[in-house]
Amino acid sequence: MIEYVGEHIWAGRLGHLFTILSVVGAALSTIGYFLGASRRDIHWERLGRLGFRVHSVAVLGIVVTLFTMLFKHWFEYDYVWKHSNLEMPLRYIASCFWEGQEGSFLLWTFWHAVLGNIFIWRAGRVNGPFREWEAPVMTVVALVQVFLACMLLGIYIGDLRLGSSPFLLIRELPENLGLPWTRMPGYLNAIPQFADGRGLNPLLQNYWMVIHPPTLFLGFAATLIPFAFVIASLWRGDRRGWIAPALPWAFFGVMVLGTGILMGGAWAYEALSFGGFWAWDPVENASLVPWLTLVGAAHLMIVNKRKETSIFSLYLLTLLTFILILYSTFLTRSGVLGDTSVHSFTGDGMLPALVRFLLIFIGISVAMLIADKGQRRFYAIISACLMVVGVALNVDVPAILLFIAISIGMLISTYRRDYSGQSEEESLRSREFWLFIGSLVLLLSAVQITFSTSVPVFNLLLEPFDTFFGWIGERTGSAFFKDLADTDLAPPAEAVAHYNKWQVPFAFIVSLLVAMTQYLRWKDSDMGKFRRQIGLSFLIAVLLTALGVYLLRFKFVELDLIALFFATTFAAVANAMYIGKVLNGNLRNAGASIAHVGFALVLLGALISTGRRTEVSRNSKGMDLRFLSEGFSNSTDILLYKGDTVRMGDHYVSFRNKRKEGVNVYFDMDYFAVEPQRYGMGDTVHVGDMLFTAKDAHTASATFLADQPAHWQALERFPRRALWYAREWTATRPGAPTFRLQPFIQVNPRFGNVAEPSTKHWLHRDLYTHVRYADQTIGPDSIDDAWMPDRTYNKQVGDTIITPTSMVIIDSVYTVQDSATKRMLGERYTVHAAKLRVRDLYRPDRWFDARPLLIYAGTEPVAGKSAEVPPLRIRYGLASVDGEKIDLNIAESEFLVLQALAFPGINILWVGCVLLFLGTFLAVVQRIRGGKPRDRNAIGP
Amino acid sequence: MKRSHIIAIVIIAIAIGALVGSLSDSSTYADLKQAMENPGKEFHVVGTLDRSQEVIYEPGMNASLTTFTMVDLEGRSCRVHLAKAKPQDLERSERLVLIGKANERGEFEATDMLMKCPSKYNEENRITG
Repeated sequence: MIEYVGEHIWAGRLGHLFTILSVVGAALSTIGYFLGASRRDIHWERLGRLGFRVHSVAVLGIVVTLFTMLFKHWFEYDYVWKHSNLEMPLRYIASCFWEGQEGSFLLWTFWHAVLGNIFIWRAGRVNGPFREWEAPVMTVVALVQVFLACMLLGIYIGDLRLGSSPFLLIRELPENLGLPWTRMPGYLNAIPQFADGRGLNPLLQNYWMVIHPPTLFLGFAATLIPFAFVIASLWRGDRRGWIAPALPWAFFGVMVLGTGILMGGAWAYEALSFGGFWAWDPVENASLVPWLTLVGAAHLMIVNKRKETSIFSLYLLTLLTFILILYSTFLTRSGVLGDTSVHSFTGDGMLPALVRFLLIFIGISVAMLIADKGQRRFYAIISACLMVVGVALNVDVPAILLFIAISIGMLISTYRRDYSGQSEEESLRSREFWLFIGSLVLLLSAVQITFSTSVPVFNLLLEPFDTFFGWIGERTGSAFFKDLADTDLAPPAEAVAHYNKWQVPFAFIVSLLVAMTQYLRWKDSDMGKFRRQIGLSFLIAVLLTALGVYLLRFKFVELDLIALFFATTFAAVANAMYIGKVLNGNLRNAGASIAHVGFALVLLGALISTGRRTEVSRNSKGMDLRFLSEGFSNSTDILLYKGDTVRMGDHYVSFRNKRKEGVNVYFDMDYFAVEPQRYGMGDTVHVGDMLFTAKDAHTASATFLADQPAHWQALERFPRRALWYAREWTATRPGAPTFRLQPFIQVNPRFGNVAEPSTKHWLHRDLYTHVRYADQTIGPDSIDDAWMPDRTYNKQVGDTIITPTSMVIIDSVYTVQDSATKRMLGERYTVHAAKLRVRDLYRPDRWFDARPLLIYAGTEPVAGKSAEVPPLRIRYGLASVDGEKIDLNIAESEFLVLQALAFPGINILWVGCVLLFLGTFLAVVQRIRGGKPRDRNAIGP
Repeated sequence: MKRSHIIAIVIIAIAIGALVGSLSDSSTYADLKQAMENPGKEFHVVGTLDRSQEVIYEPGMNASLTTFTMVDLEGRSCRVHLAKAKPQDLERSERLVLIGKANERGEFEATDMLMKCPSKYNEENRITG
């Protein structure tokens, strides 16, 4: 037994102990609640409750232990070493906590435990209205907790790795076992790497990263309770009793998950250089899809609370929501996304465990939906057999496909037998009918997104059949099957365009339904009254749309966007007027309407800001990219020389300075107003190849042609040089400084440098800028020499060098022989000079001379004087001279490459987010109060 | 026919349309050989940066053009024009996914690129001592 020095073994042991305790507690709780529910025995139920308490305390213990380890910087632990370091600000310890796989599972488990306890507290009140739901619901919650807690165990069952533990010492890692250093008692002090951790990815060192993951995971966790309610409902055979207690949870989930997703968007917009708040990245999609189905489920709950009409759809959507959460965990954690997403976790061998986790809950859901006991048993046995066969014979994929096929078959048969038929036709003029349609459209939208996001999964599923398809292809000569065998599907190349194409129509239908459905009554509506109530909103929406189309210059080909513009405006106006007209301004019942206004505004803001996003930073200099390829759009980036002031959109921008603060290099960019250029009498400008002098002092108008007859006199004869040095005529000039933006680059040698944007916010639009490319080196004492790093060319007399702005011909190299120099320097020194002829690449008639010098003391170069050509922003220096051969250092003026985007109307989106949050919050409160608003017409978000 | 049946048929039709449409939009992973044989067709090509060849990024000429050489998983290499400013740490990347098409001149014109940099999950996790 080796006595290791400096380790804090007890913390890891404690953590492990808590982990085991949490699994045992959850298992105990599952058994207790299960028996309590099936035997209706209060003693078993008490055991279940005790078990869940133990589990909760243990989970809290794990959290506290892990936080302690991170705070104390105990780098002997793998998790601490990988995710934190000493120099990191303390407030980001929280981000470290959930950055890794284990930590985020822990966070999720933690929220489940919290919600479970709140549920027990609410349901468990003696003679409470939902008393009888505690045992069955908590059975499901506790079962899920068993699985999640196991994911922190990090043990192997046969070959199957079950999660990973955050409490592993580095020397205990499988890859380090048996290495010599693990047997050194003093290894912590002896090996320098243990002195500090690896630190947090700079992308995640952001305040959004402190609040976004916990919110998102709370949203994920909130979907468990409705799921558990559905299972409990099917188990108890009580189809509608669960809806009232489940409703506040469902809307709580809608609120928190929605907020979490939008926070992710805000983070992307504020801190990442994606150039927007939503990129249809698989990881984003994976969190959006369950939200869509949850919204559908919540609305169907309202319908079915009144009268059982579409209970199967409600069951399906609620079950699907939680399954999609598991699926999204599988997508993002298993490594299956691999090359398709920028921010997924790499696998770490989690895939098999996650797949089984997912499949087991699909199996449970389908089995519970099957009403017939015999069939349920049959399905359960078949599924279990398939799982065993799949694992034992290593034919996972066919087994999974068969399982899915059987599940779908069973669902269809049980739907036809047990769920259809008893419901009568709904009236087309009823609220419930259109709520049902809306939920189906949300489901369709979710299906499309899931399908496109799952492309890597299809490859995985098709892979075992490749030889089979290839064989069919060979035998039949069918190109289709050969393709199927060969191809490896990739996500759509134009992801954003692809998703928009499908999702814009869905959003259009949903928005129209959001606008109108509240005005319909349950069962049947008086259409005359409906038209009178909604007519004004419709008219206002039409007018606003016309105004929007005019102001934002929508073209007819963008009919889909115009339609969505109308639908979202209609939804916002109609719901806002509903609060005033129907609810008489009673805000307590207005949660639904406020949320709907918010939802519509989020869509509208997204539509305007992305549909009318403009790239302000167009490069007018240099080569046109379209010469190279038709597929390339021309530059979206602008090149700014330091000190230059350049027109960019509605502003002049100037790159003033760069400075270093901590690990960040900031670039100070000053913005100026645009004002008309003023010319004084006698000013000379060039326009094309001609020179003009001003006849009088005047303010320039928009074009030179308009000004020329009255104010400018063409010069007949002038030296070429005058043309080269004359200013170009411009209509505008920079006016008063208006604001300053400071985009920066976080220099991080370990994770790579990260460019963070800087955004100017106005009420009606944002100007978003980030540095794409810059010289990040800053000399000692932060002295900035205003030149890019030198490039050295090894050339000889007669050679030509092409630089980005110039062509250089080395004309000659000679020794400066004049007596004045000799006298000043003494005999020991020789002065070499190179005569360079420099030609402007973009105005080939412009020639310049440059003569850099280099002084040698004997054979050692001691000093040099470089030659600058200011019009070409270039500097030439001699590094060595050897006869005809020279080393020439060429540096360009310091510049940076900036991308600037204007997002109009993005504040509509943020206002929408706030309203969506507030509205759903009010809806939750209303549902907790019992969901009986005074106005019967006003039910239902 | 009951209305619910009509709805079901419409929904199923849209669903199938969406799925087929999505599938036809999806691109395919390919190696450079395939891409070169089908110039003008969009592919995702996975590979690595050829560090022995020069990475050219001259913002003075065009701030949104980066030219470099990539090697695909089969070992074939090809000059790539990427219509983007040079990404931070291109030189450190361990894996590139280029989205674009080959042209007749045997070059690859990429409109977008995903880059995997060595991250904490797989970089130098080993302690040597």
